[in-house]
Amino acid sequence: MPVVGVDIGGTFTDFMLYDAASGAVHVHKVPSTPAEPEKAMVSGLAELCAAAGLAPRDVTGVFHGTTVATNAVLEHEGAVAGMITTRGFRDIVHIGRHQRPLHYSVMQDIPWQARPFVQRRHRKVVTERVVPPIGEVLTPLDEDEVRVAARELREEGVEAVAVCFLFSYLNPEHERRAATIVREEMPGAFVTTSADIFPQFREFERFTTATMSAFVGPKTGRYLDRLASALDEEGVSGELHVMMSSGGVASVRTAAERPVTLLLSGPAAGILGGQWAGALAGRRRLITFDMGGTSADIGIVTEEGVSEASARDTWVGGYPLLVPMLDVHAIGAGGGSIAYVDEGGAFRVGPRSAGAVPGPAAYGHGGSEPTISDAHVVLGRLDPDRFLGGRMRLDRNAAVAVVEKLADRLGLGLLEAAEGILTIANSNMARAIRSRTIEKGHDPREFTLVAFGGAGPLHAAEVADSLEIPEVLVPPHPGITSAGGLLTSDLKYDQMRTVFQLQGSVDADRLNRELDGLAAELRGWLERDGVPSEEVVVIRSLDCRYVGQGYELRVTLANGPFTEETLNQFHVLHEREYGSAYADPIEIVNARVTAIGRRPTLDSLPVASGSLEEALVGENEGFFRLDGNLQALRTRFYDRSLLPLNETLAGPAVVFHLDTTTVVPPGWNVRADRHGNLILTNGGAS
Amino acid sequence: MIAGALDSIAVEMGHKLARMAYSSIIRESEDFGCVLCDADGRQLCESSQSTPLQSGPIPGYIAGINRRFAELEHDWKPGDVVIHNHSYYGASHQPDVGFVVPVFYEDELIGFSATTAHHLDLGALTPGSCGIVDATDAYAEGLQLNAIKIEEEGRRNDFIWQILRDNCRAPQLVVGDMEAQVAACKIGAGRFVELIDRYGLETVKNASEDLMDYSDRMLRREIAQLPDGTYEAEGFLDGFVDHPDPSYKNLKVKVAVRVEGSEITVDLTGTAPQVDLPINMPFVGTVDIAIWVTLRSILLDAWTHDPVPTNSGLFRAISIVAPEGCIANPTFPAPTIARFCGGNIIADTVMRALAPVLPDRVGAGVGNLKVVAYSGFGGGQHWVYMDIQEGSYGGRYGKDGLDAVDTLYANTRNNPIEDIESHFPLRVTQYELLADRGGPGRWRGGLGTTREIEFLDDAGYSLEGDGSVTPPPGLFGGAEGTPGAVLLNRGTRGVLELPSKFPYRKAAAGDRLCLISPCGGGYGDPLERDRDAVREDLIDGYVSRESARTHYGAKELE
Repeated sequence: MPVVGVDIGGTFTDFMLYDAASGAVHVHKVPSTPAEPEKAMVSGLAELCAAAGLAPRDVTGVFHGTTVATNAVLEHEGAVAGMITTRGFRDIVHIGRHQRPLHYSVMQDIPWQARPFVQRRHRKVVTERVVPPIGEVLTPLDEDEVRVAARELREEGVEAVAVCFLFSYLNPEHERRAATIVREEMPGAFVTTSADIFPQFREFERFTTATMSAFVGPKTGRYLDRLASALDEEGVSGELHVMMSSGGVASVRTAAERPVTLLLSGPAAGILGGQWAGALAGRRRLITFDMGGTSADIGIVTEEGVSEASARDTWVGGYPLLVPMLDVHAIGAGGGSIAYVDEGGAFRVGPRSAGAVPGPAAYGHGGSEPTISDAHVVLGRLDPDRFLGGRMRLDRNAAVAVVEKLADRLGLGLLEAAEGILTIANSNMARAIRSRTIEKGHDPREFTLVAFGGAGPLHAAEVADSLEIPEVLVPPHPGITSAGGLLTSDLKYDQMRTVFQLQGSVDADRLNRELDGLAAELRGWLERDGVPSEEVVVIRSLDCRYVGQGYELRVTLANGPFTEETLNQFHVLHEREYGSAYADPIEIVNARVTAIGRRPTLDSLPVASGSLEEALVGENEGFFRLDGNLQALRTRFYDRSLLPLNETLAGPAVVFHLDTTTVVPPGWNVRADRHGNLILTNGGAS
Repeated sequence: MIAGALDSIAVEMGHKLARMAYSSIIRESEDFGCVLCDADGRQLCESSQSTPLQSGPIPGYIAGINRRFAELEHDWKPGDVVIHNHSYYGASHQPDVGFVVPVFYEDELIGFSATTAHHLDLGALTPGSCGIVDATDAYAEGLQLNAIKIEEEGRRNDFIWQILRDNCRAPQLVVGDMEAQVAACKIGAGRFVELIDRYGLETVKNASEDLMDYSDRMLRREIAQLPDGTYEAEGFLDGFVDHPDPSYKNLKVKVAVRVEGSEITVDLTGTAPQVDLPINMPFVGTVDIAIWVTLRSILLDAWTHDPVPTNSGLFRAISIVAPEGCIANPTFPAPTIARFCGGNIIADTVMRALAPVLPDRVGAGVGNLKVVAYSGFGGGQHWVYMDIQEGSYGGRYGKDGLDAVDTLYANTRNNPIEDIESHFPLRVTQYELLADRGGPGRWRGGLGTTREIEFLDDAGYSLEGDGSVTPPPGLFGGAEGTPGAVLLNRGTRGVLELPSKFPYRKAAAGDRLCLISPCGGGYGDPLERDRDAVREDLIDGYVSRESARTHYGAKELE
């Protein structure tokens, strides 16, 4: 039953193959082919299969993390999209919440005004109105107007339509009927409704989500089609699945219908990969730290699983998005982040990046500004001869030259300036981690930092130091952890509906009907994906708040019908979250159902090891701050693949992986565990 | 590192406050502020969710409390929580209630953790806390709380809480919001102490000074690049357009911005004398914030500049002069509760004064806002809902004005229609852009909205707004924008035009209140507008064919 995880990034396409029957794992990495991403996927997959001694037809499933929808949003390259909405409310997606994104700016642009997903010319209004509290129809839908609007959109060259009516989360019938008419009038167009994506109140956010879905829908659909047919032609027998922002995987068909669920596909796979590596080592409380060339993604895992973003805090590219997402916090700090002195004399690092081209000065492609990677080279933490397993030589002189220029402006020595770059970058990352932990009531000292990506293991120990995190874990194959993450997830679909019911007068029958209806819908999706019903797990929950509050906490329901006593759990949750509970009545805002289709997932990996003598490949001067002074210390260089198991080595040391480098500062120890992880521990607490 | 840690604390305070709050004015509109200050009451940081008009005034609240304490020989003690809303002691206006917790470290007062928030009802003469436009003095505005210890050395004073509960019309919401404010202050104070535990008091103090010096330096650097001189502009408030006495109408705001080296003085001499109706503006808390936020939004525009920490360092280079007894520096007990729109005109006038020297960093005249208090009484309980209607920006260098936004010195959010109708007997019947009303210009004035709400039950409402008389001015040859309007549609009983401010009125079920925003002025000669932009505007319905022809000379579009 071999399955393959494929993470297509801007620079590399990463693969991991796992055969549950034999336990065999194979990894592979090829350059991406951005114009035709399926090329790199197919050729890489063929090479991977060959290395594993398999034929493509033996592969029973391909799991994919994609950035195609994300890039469509970030680069604003999507479909000509249209919208049909309630008469009187043509501009909800333009007015937004009438708040400016920046408090202190006259010249700012507002994303949804400067770069709308649907231009006003393609926003049509039709007569209809649904009203609260139960979604009663106040004004019936004028179907003729819908038909006229659809014809106009077709003539205007619109390829995708979002149907967005007020209060559709209470009663989706008007939206559904209108969508049917649009499909009749616009065959082949991508059509979505706001309630079908996520039936939750707050019209600006829900409508924006729907228009974003229309904007990215055709492109995402075509892309997934191309991948699926390329795999087909290659003879791969298994189906293509796609990672969603929620950390679940979806079939191509479901993903293509709801493309906005894919916007954090890649980062979600990274967090799951980190979670998997942590679990191998028996660690349940993790901060995942995925740092690449331009940015770093931070996620939190606790005993309750990966933290999810609250639906009020989810934004992509400056646009609000109401879909379930893992709580991924991205900051502009990567190996290519540029260091500079601003107009007021402050020393800053990022978010501007030298990118892949020209890249850091040390890459020798003409980079003329000092980057984080250059600082590592200057401090002897990146070895010019062993970068990417020796596949790329670094130019130390170029790195020194650009850092020296900065040092002169700052009136610092070369080494101080280089160390300063790392200190500022590390403190930016520590601050981001603090905002995901301390502000949410987690003590980072009780967590393990899981570091991966091309640059994560270079920074992890020092970031951990500043947060008093005692332990760092570097997963096996830290450069392709995301591809591994793709193989660890079950099929998972979420659905929810805003219900607005008040404690004391809950219509339990109606609520149970809503929950059962949602569950049946999701079971249908899994059935369509071929998941046997005995492998389906359904989790039901309610988003609740004290009546009058605006934010909800999630109460998970036990099996069986809902009864009002269940709501008492909410007081406990509120006390835990905010330090106080009140006697006020509780309001149920949303009913929520998650359905999981279980499948065999990646287990542990076979691990190569050697002896200390074999692993020690060199020694050189590295610069570290010790007792307040920046000092040159003898630093040992090790080859990751030859490290012995469970032997503790003291820093300062640098461990070279095929695709990244781990820095073990003085005062830290490192050992390789039997699952392929490197475990770094602070001080004597090894 | 310490700057980042301070910001994180303020953000956490804001996060918790918004989540625990009960009223939509806090949780949806985000009309609140969270700040940490040093022992001198100087602001060190603010939460990013805060609206500038709430976080900016906090140092003024602390100074006002200190002044009151000095008069009464009170002092800060560990465990105190102080409530404060006195507009002549630093409060922004009466409904913006501040809570301040002193932060002690080893018996030394080292700072303050403070929150402000707009409360729905604090016992004014009619329901709500906006549209109280007939208050004749500060006492008529409702509860005046001047440096009151609601918790004293850790002991909660239940009698004061009881006074609050007994004197406002929606006590569950108001007191719930206040409890959330106190909780947020305490979280901030606790985190502040943890920060000092970690880095040491001296380090935190030094870093605080450095941060304020840095912000000061950044602002001065920008001021120094302006040519020395005095730059002037005028703006006008509608005032009370239905008042028989002309001195209540078309009230002038006169601004002279003097630039000398790296310092700016804003002189409001020549501004209209104060009136005995509540559109006077507290000098500390409203006027100073309007000027300061506007100057920083132009000189350190976050769109084009690296981020600059928001702290009291940003005040140092700016002086403000306003003669006592004018609407920008009223004498107690002149009423001030409805001061919001006037502050916006000060902000707009300051911006336009600077236009000749900063043509590429300012916009033409801004369309002002309106705030409605909807209320009713049923089942022994009041309901009160505050609805904020946005304005719009004037055209800017290279860009059209922002459409449908809160403006300049405030940055609240609207309340979702799906939230309003789920909680109050109101129905929103229209909420759309106002086509064809932005001031023509090379860069067009932004569009405001039309927002119409129907009463489903007999109820009441009051309004404070501005911009129904004087249109937002154009700039550099751009045309002026359009004034707003207020209409009451009573079905078969006809449509009634209402002024931009009116006190509590009764509404009958079926009445519809329709608010029309003023729309921003144009920037530059409309005949120079990019032809493609004119065409696109026409296709999108932002301008009419008629307007494209007459204002933009677009004959080819026939």
